[in-house]
Amino acid sequence: MSFLNANTYYIAAFGLIFIGLYIVMAKKNLVKVVIGLSFVDSGINLLLISIGYIKGGTAPIFSRPGISPLKMVDPIPQALVLTAIVIGVAVLALALSLVVKLYQQYGTLDIRKIRGLKW
Amino acid sequence: MSLEMLLVIAFGGAFLTYLLGKLSPVLRDILAVLLTLVILAIVALFYGRTGESSFMNFLGFNLSLRINTLSWLFAIAVATLGSLSTIFSLSYMKGKERLDFYYLMMLIVNASMLGIVFSGDLISFYVFWEIMSWGTFLLISYNRGPALAAGLKYIVMSIVGSTAYLLGMFSLYASYSTFNIADIASRISTASPGYLLSVLVLFSITFGIKNALVPLHTWLPDAHSEAPSPFSAVLSGILIKMGTYGFVISMYVLVGIKALSHLGHGILSFHFMLAILAAVTILVPTFIALMQDDAKRVLAWSSIAQVGYIILGIAIGTSLGFAGGMFHFLNHASFKALLFMAIGAVEYRTGTRDLNSLGGIIKKMPFTFMMTLIGALGLIGFPLTNGFVSKWLIYKTLILGKDPFLAFVALFGTWGTILYAYKILHNIFMGQLPEEYKGVEEAPFSMKFPMVILSIIIILFGILPGIPLKVINVIGVSLGFKSLAVNIWGIASDTGALNTINIFSAILVSWIVVWLIFKAAPTSLRVEQDNNYAAGSYVPTGRYLYTANFYAPVYRIIKPYVIDVVDIFYMALAGAVRTLCDWTRRMYTGELGSYVMYIMLFLAVLITMRLGFNIW
Amino acid sequence: MVNPVLLIAVPLGLAFSLPIFGLISKRLEKYLPVIAMLFNLSLSVYLVPRVLTHPIIVYIGGWAPPFGIDLFVGPVGIFFSVIIALVGLLVSIYAMDYIKEGDTGKYHVLFLLLLTGAQGVVLTGDIFNLFVFYEILCISSYALVGYLRDRDGLESAIKYLVQGSIGTGLVLTGIAFIYGLYGTLNMADIARQINSIKPAANFITLALIITGLGVEAAIFPMNAWLPDAHSSAPSSISAILSGIAIEIGVYAIARVIFTIFGATDILSFVALVGIITLLVGEMSALKQNNIKRMLAYSSTGQIGLIVFAFAIATSYGIEAGLFQILNHSLSKALLFLAAGYMIYRTGSMEISSFEGMGKRMPLTSLGFTIGAFSLIGLPPFAGFASKFLIVKAALTKGGGLYTCLIALALVATVIEGAYFFRVVQVLYFRGSNENVTRQEAPVVALVPFFVLAVLIIAIGIYPGPVMHVLNSATSEFVHRIAYIQGVLR
Repeated sequence: MSFLNANTYYIAAFGLIFIGLYIVMAKKNLVKVVIGLSFVDSGINLLLISIGYIKGGTAPIFSRPGISPLKMVDPIPQALVLTAIVIGVAVLALALSLVVKLYQQYGTLDIRKIRGLKW
Repeated sequence: MSLEMLLVIAFGGAFLTYLLGKLSPVLRDILAVLLTLVILAIVALFYGRTGESSFMNFLGFNLSLRINTLSWLFAIAVATLGSLSTIFSLSYMKGKERLDFYYLMMLIVNASMLGIVFSGDLISFYVFWEIMSWGTFLLISYNRGPALAAGLKYIVMSIVGSTAYLLGMFSLYASYSTFNIADIASRISTASPGYLLSVLVLFSITFGIKNALVPLHTWLPDAHSEAPSPFSAVLSGILIKMGTYGFVISMYVLVGIKALSHLGHGILSFHFMLAILAAVTILVPTFIALMQDDAKRVLAWSSIAQVGYIILGIAIGTSLGFAGGMFHFLNHASFKALLFMAIGAVEYRTGTRDLNSLGGIIKKMPFTFMMTLIGALGLIGFPLTNGFVSKWLIYKTLILGKDPFLAFVALFGTWGTILYAYKILHNIFMGQLPEEYKGVEEAPFSMKFPMVILSIIIILFGILPGIPLKVINVIGVSLGFKSLAVNIWGIASDTGALNTINIFSAILVSWIVVWLIFKAAPTSLRVEQDNNYAAGSYVPTGRYLYTANFYAPVYRIIKPYVIDVVDIFYMALAGAVRTLCDWTRRMYTGELGSYVMYIMLFLAVLITMRLGFNIW
Repeated sequence: MVNPVLLIAVPLGLAFSLPIFGLISKRLEKYLPVIAMLFNLSLSVYLVPRVLTHPIIVYIGGWAPPFGIDLFVGPVGIFFSVIIALVGLLVSIYAMDYIKEGDTGKYHVLFLLLLTGAQGVVLTGDIFNLFVFYEILCISSYALVGYLRDRDGLESAIKYLVQGSIGTGLVLTGIAFIYGLYGTLNMADIARQINSIKPAANFITLALIITGLGVEAAIFPMNAWLPDAHSSAPSSISAILSGIAIEIGVYAIARVIFTIFGATDILSFVALVGIITLLVGEMSALKQNNIKRMLAYSSTGQIGLIVFAFAIATSYGIEAGLFQILNHSLSKALLFLAAGYMIYRTGSMEISSFEGMGKRMPLTSLGFTIGAFSLIGLPPFAGFASKFLIVKAALTKGGGLYTCLIALALVATVIEGAYFFRVVQVLYFRGSNENVTRQEAPVVALVPFFVLAVLIIAIGIYPGPVMHVLNSATSEFVHRIAYIQGVLR
């Protein structure tokens, strides 16, 4: 159990990533596929955050005297995650707008029916 | 005048011709002819010169041009045929489309062939070789229709050849860290026979394809027959001989005669295997040629067979054989070009080259007939034509070398040659003149002129074979062959000399005797055709088809045995490759899920291979 | 001294101010990419001699690495900058006339963003920053592929987007691993510490990043998006995607393998993958009837060849790979641009509909032919020099594996020759030539054709000056210690 306890966030992060990947590979509805992408994104963000996380840590600011730098949470992953979230949102927005346009063109969201391009 | 200047003139002139053509077609024609004549003059002035100079630096390697007698001999043949076929083109190509392009390509191919023979290192050889290949491709495709398939076949085989060349060239570089032919030649003597053999085999693929050595010949019949006739003359006359040049370079210059003789022994030597291939190249194509009904196709297959003689002579590798092969290369260049031009002239006037529908053209084009006759005699190897001398040298080599099988094949091939040469003469010129060709005229001057020059060469070299043989002897000696006792009338050797003056006088005497007999005999009565030709019955005024299906009995005998198996095999192979390619792209199914799965699969494979099996 | 950061800042700034200029005059919009790229090209060319003597390292915000982000303007970076700016400039000139439909303002914004992303990837010295620029490149190319909003465009855009996001997701995971293992994101700093961690963890990180970048670099089997996207995008975008975007992916992989990880053990596998990519690409292209799909498959093939050349990993091999990148950028851009106007004139992408083009659009056809000949590797075009270098690198490397692989690569060249020559025949020799009137592409499109064709021939005949840059670029990849020391002085 100690493994689980020590690595809860990592397990959750990879769980999210794999669920997302499964959705992308197995689901035929485009909206679901996009949701799957979003899962993958969230998983990766969680992974990044948990790398810098220290249990019971404080914000990396010397806001009051007596804070040990050793107990500070690493700020860089948080900065990275902010960027990654922004990118993720952009991709998601683009994906959804493409899905809307596709629905207007094809009248369906079934990926099996949107197969004009192959070979 | 340096070699660089020559190439600059040749390539620059080609582009200048193209640009001039946009202004005025007449000026373009004049410039094209002038250019080839200037090149011919320059090359002729190079006679006897030797030397090497580097002309540019490419990727850190010095590209060099070198001249010696060997390259001069090929260059003069290139330049001569280049100018003659350009002159021939003047009227043959008149009124066709895209002439600027035609002349540009013609001149570029000509220039690149000069580049090939003058290149002193393997890179510039390859560069000019490739320029020649794509130029040829564009010219073969020029006639549209079936020419497209022919062009594609040519270029694909050509790329296969250059692939082999690249591998050979770089494996030489990897061992000797130089591309210079002379440098490699001086260092190669220490190489192991196995290595030399692999390099030679790679080069043989390249040159064998260009030279149309069976089983690499399949591009040639289509390409030669579909190309415009002046270019067919170049193609058959000199372009495929670049393969011959390559063989000489790789066998006798790069590897050298001494190292070559150590490559295997007896039947299993490189020499002998090449000679066997050459013999097959003589035998099968000769009889395939016999069965063709398209005059240019006959000549195309004949080219393959004749090239077999050249390679046979060169492959045997005695000084006599080498001289015979080299001489036959010159001769084939002259008479095959002449024949292609003559057929071109007939096609120009009649619009067809189908042997089954032509006939009796001799009445309308007697001059062309004479030219075809001389060409055909040269092809057969009739005494007093140059073909006789070179074939004599080759037979003699084979007999002296105690190769009865090869000698038999060579003689048997000549018998076949007589049959198809006669078929061409007969089916086009003899027999009844079909109604639609009643208005046919003799070929124009610009076609006659190159044909006359070529026929003069054929006769001249037949009576005075010493002229080219002396040059060939110099080449042979420089490559390490024994010197031959060449004189202007022929060649002396311990087992019987060739002396054309004797033959010439013998034939002259017999002609005089025959002429006298005919003179003494009562003159025969001239019988009109209607008189007793059809035993009094009605003679159709249209076509009396006795030239169609010529040699039908022979066909019946040889047809089951004479099949171009190789071509069938290549075509099946190409079909299989196409099907395989078609199946490959079905991997891209259009299913998004599977695409994502490919990505994850790659990741999984990468990690398992490393961590699970620790493969690398 | 001009700050190289302008190479990124100017196109980025112009991209976002473009809508404002659009308010002033709609006609102004299409000149802005040209101006930006002209600026980038002149700046990069100006920087070339300086960079060759010693690399310029810019600390963004004055924070020294490993804490701040640095731009490493080395020979490799400047080589790619020149290619990006050159191809970008020519394509933007071409697009002035070619892009008429739709909301052209958005097109130009996205186009500039794409180039900014590419520019950023090759210059940055920070791996997360690389990821960000990479995403900028990817997102703008997703949008541009669907620019025409037709069925094919939208379909390929969403497929490209899903695959691309999975790929960048993997890259980000890899970066997270790197940060977890080394606590730094500076490429030189990671490279310095790389051997302090046990190989298994290292390898998984490497595998994640290679796979992720491999999606964008179109390495088999992750290249399924490419034929769709390249064939349904507007031709100018196909040219950019083929000529720049996938090469950037290869650059990123090379940077990761050579500089960051110094992973020489994986290279024989990469070489194998490269050759498979090449073979599959060329074989898929053989029977294509759609010209743009054929060119797209040919791009995957060429990428395989580039990857193979890099994987040889001798200085000859890397040099050959870089040269092939240059050749492919120029030739494939030329091919797509030429094909673009031929499609525009005929209204069809079927190869058979291009009959008689040699007379109808002679200069365009000539451009196409030169590009095709160069890709096949015929002299005297640039492709010959790169093919020459690749074969030389493979055979001087020695060893049975590389000899077999180069033989397979040359087999692929034969297939490539077969389909390109077929198209050339269609352009010039198939069908009848009568009743064809001349309808040449407009002058703004002919300018890029002319420049590209001249460059292809000039580089093919005199590769010397290019080789000068490539030598330094190669040593940047080969000497990773020098790179590390340069950044972390």
